[in-house]
Amino acid sequence: MKIHVMTESTMPSQSEQQNSPAESRHENLSALIDGELSDGMARIAITQLGHSPGDLARLGEYLAIGDAMRGLNTRHDGFSARVMAELENEPVVLAPVQKKRESRPTLWLAAATAAAITWVVWQSNPRDDLAVPLASVQQTAPQFDEASPYLAAHQDFAQAVISTQEMRFTKASLEIRP
Amino acid sequence: MTQWCMRMPAGMLAGCMALSVPAVQAADPLPPQEAAALLQRMSDAARRVAYEGVFVMQHGASMQTLSIVNRPVGTAKESRLAALDGVEREIRCSETGSVSRVIEGGQIKLEKRLNSRYFPDLLPPNAAALASWYHVKPGERVRVAGLDCRQIEVSPKDDFRWGYVLCAEQGTGLPLKAVMVNESGQPLMQYAFAEIRIGSLPRVESRGLSKTEQTAWTMPPAAAATRPIMLETVSVKNLPPGFSRITAVKRKLPNKPEEVEHWVFSDGLTHISLFLEPALQPIESIRGQSKQGMINMAKRQVGTMQATILGDAPWPAIEAIAMGLEARSDAATR
Repeated sequence: MKIHVMTESTMPSQSEQQNSPAESRHENLSALIDGELSDGMARIAITQLGHSPGDLARLGEYLAIGDAMRGLNTRHDGFSARVMAELENEPVVLAPVQKKRESRPTLWLAAATAAAITWVVWQSNPRDDLAVPLASVQQTAPQFDEASPYLAAHQDFAQAVISTQEMRFTKASLEIRP
Repeated sequence: MTQWCMRMPAGMLAGCMALSVPAVQAADPLPPQEAAALLQRMSDAARRVAYEGVFVMQHGASMQTLSIVNRPVGTAKESRLAALDGVEREIRCSETGSVSRVIEGGQIKLEKRLNSRYFPDLLPPNAAALASWYHVKPGERVRVAGLDCRQIEVSPKDDFRWGYVLCAEQGTGLPLKAVMVNESGQPLMQYAFAEIRIGSLPRVESRGLSKTEQTAWTMPPAAAATRPIMLETVSVKNLPPGFSRITAVKRKLPNKPEEVEHWVFSDGLTHISLFLEPALQPIESIRGQSKQGMINMAKRQVGTMQATILGDAPWPAIEAIAMGLEARSDAATR
């Protein structure tokens, strides 16, 4: 198995961090679980787990604590052993994990709710001129770019100056009489 | 009755009396005869009263300030409308017609207008006929541009036109404010004087045009070119009630190489344009609507022609005209 070993040069120096190396690793583990590490840092942290059974055990504890706080009854017996076995069997890569922010379900829920409210308001005001992005309407509407000469000529009888951009066009169901 | 009313021509007296009535009848439309007289009085005032002032036009999110000077000349008017912000744009009307002058990028562009009416001259010369298609209700007294006026609600009796809430100056009946409203009473466009002097001699028009101004307003032949239509290939059936064709010419449109036919249908207050030109390819029927729904538009094929219908009118009016177009069977044989 080929594992990149973190060296002093790749680790953040102690002068850059105020915490002890052990504390930093624990913080990194916590950030890893929360998905708050950059892809590069996450790769380093995961690599480091392969060399530190203690950190691996701590990771299991953190996960168990997180699950308990979320009301999940998941057992993590043998978690360290399984990870070690997987690491041994994996010839390759410690790919960056997809970031999940399960540790902050409330924030996600709030964001999703806000998005839903915005969508509903947007949908319920089709004639609210300022809220509707015209470009998105025009993507599906038939084009009638040549409307401006007619709008300009009609201004002999209408004082409001209307441009083509202020018009919305849809297919009409006008039936052509024979 | 005010001193203004004493000086009015006999035909305007009835309307003046109607304006003098307290607002106790605000909820009820006026009887047709009184409604007609009141509409006619407001219409006459816009042409027969001398005034100059500045008004604001607001449509959607846009607002424009314009100055206007009007002076009666015989039975007609001489007027000048000038945009005070944005592009330098001016419209002058006289007995000989209406010309717009736009100055942009150092270029002066003159165009003949087919219509010589604009706020406050919104009502047609024969405004009494509007009483057949609109209810007229006098409302409360309000103050606009420092002058007392009475609100007049002009609401359509059907779905083919927008309504107006006008504010007629107490003394003359001159509209000081006009709000175009949709079927729900929501404003679509509004004009209101910010400042006005009534009865005074306008500064510019009273001294006439200088030679330089006359030269600047001389129409080049190309700008004035509208031609009669020799052979009509399309006919229109079933116009909305009260509408009739008031114009039909061939004219050049900006950015179009060939002349098109421009027909205009109107009930006197609402105007709908129809543009006809040869269809170069099969035309897909399209409906268009301005953001606030004020302007509606349709495009369709009629025989070998492309028809584009648009106006400051509700969709039913545009649709009725669009659906009423027919290719003339006798056009090909003539």
